[in-house]
Amino acid sequence: MYVIIVGCGRVGSELAKLLSQEGHNVVVIDKAQSSFDRLGGTFNGLTLTGNGFDLSLLKQAGIEKADAFCAVTNGDNTNLISAQVAKRIFSVPKVIARVYDPQRAHIYAALGLNIISGTILFASMLRDKIIESRFSSYLIETKELGIIEIEVNAAWADKAVQEINVPEEFLVVAIRRVQGIIIPGPQTVLKEKDILMAAVKVASLNKIKDRFGI
Amino acid sequence: MYILIVGAGKVGYFLARRLSASKHTVSIVDKDKNICEEAAKEIEALVINGDGCDPRILEEAGIERADVLAAVTGEDEDNLIICQLAKERFHVQRTVGRVNNPDDEHTFAELGIDVPVDSTKIIAKIIEEEVSFSDFVNLMSFKRGKLAIVRVDLPSDSPVINKEVKDVKLPQDSVLVSIVRGEEVIVPKGDTVLKPGDDIIAIAAIGNEPQLLNLLVGKL
Repeated sequence: MYVIIVGCGRVGSELAKLLSQEGHNVVVIDKAQSSFDRLGGTFNGLTLTGNGFDLSLLKQAGIEKADAFCAVTNGDNTNLISAQVAKRIFSVPKVIARVYDPQRAHIYAALGLNIISGTILFASMLRDKIIESRFSSYLIETKELGIIEIEVNAAWADKAVQEINVPEEFLVVAIRRVQGIIIPGPQTVLKEKDILMAAVKVASLNKIKDRFGI
Repeated sequence: MYILIVGAGKVGYFLARRLSASKHTVSIVDKDKNICEEAAKEIEALVINGDGCDPRILEEAGIERADVLAAVTGEDEDNLIICQLAKERFHVQRTVGRVNNPDDEHTFAELGIDVPVDSTKIIAKIIEEEVSFSDFVNLMSFKRGKLAIVRVDLPSDSPVINKEVKDVKLPQDSVLVSIVRGEEVIVPKGDTVLKPGDDIIAIAAIGNEPQLLNLLVGKL
């Protein structure tokens, strides 16, 4: 893939190195030349100094043939504008913007931009870690669905997955046991000490917790 | 009209003062506390100290009642975001955004800002006009650059000298607006006769000015 990254801070540089190591074509844009030091000596992509929504610089970066565009500077507004330029003016197929401010993140997500808000993500992640030791909703970025981890006790051992699933509410998607991870079929039989990973509707969370005694 | 101005630097400050003097209701938002205090002292306006990119601050400044929002900070990305928030989130009728970097003007138009105002370009144009020896000056462009108001000084060897306006075959989508002859301003009619030294003000669709110039001056 041909990927343009705007912002070579910690996230931008890490992403650039990751993608470049996987063999993708990467162009990184940053206002400060010195930011490119973060890329280290092994990065073999292109670096350009300048403003992430400067049309001529973006053309120079090859935006017309880019498959993906990612704006991760430390300025929300710069990211939002760069992403819109990539999407609306250059029609880049995949465009992602990082936005710290939750309000602007919600507004622009509603307007159809692909937004990742570290602030929202980390806050809900931390909340889940504090309040719900075995439940998390942050992965799916919705308040309706989450992933719950349940340890199989004696009462549920030797039952098949289809006996445990509750249509519309609860579905086992993976089983972690000592030997590794299993993606179960309906007939897969549970063993004691298995860790179930299941998708659960947030509305049914308490009901499911009661059912498993957690 | 209720006009919300974000950014109270030189441009925002004088704009606010002028609008409030002509009896508009004005509110001002600026990040800088000192600037806000100064504005509050000098201008009859609601002044809010805060980041205009924050929807809550815009609400505080009465954006829900605003007829027009003008984002005139020194940062183009901020002006763009403020105008977009005003339009998309608060449905403000008209958004005016100051373009600091002329390269960004196209982006302003593409991202839905109603009136991008590029002060650098305007000043450069005026200076260009003042230093220009050309008979032809583009006074201003509007309708997102689709129409231009131009001024042409008729030289004595112009092919249209002593012709009546009705006999001048203007290029498509262009019209003569007025003729400045010495101190006199003439609204041209069919039988108005063109004289050397006439200053002709015309409106032309962008792209047709060369033909207009060719017609009035006789050369490109």
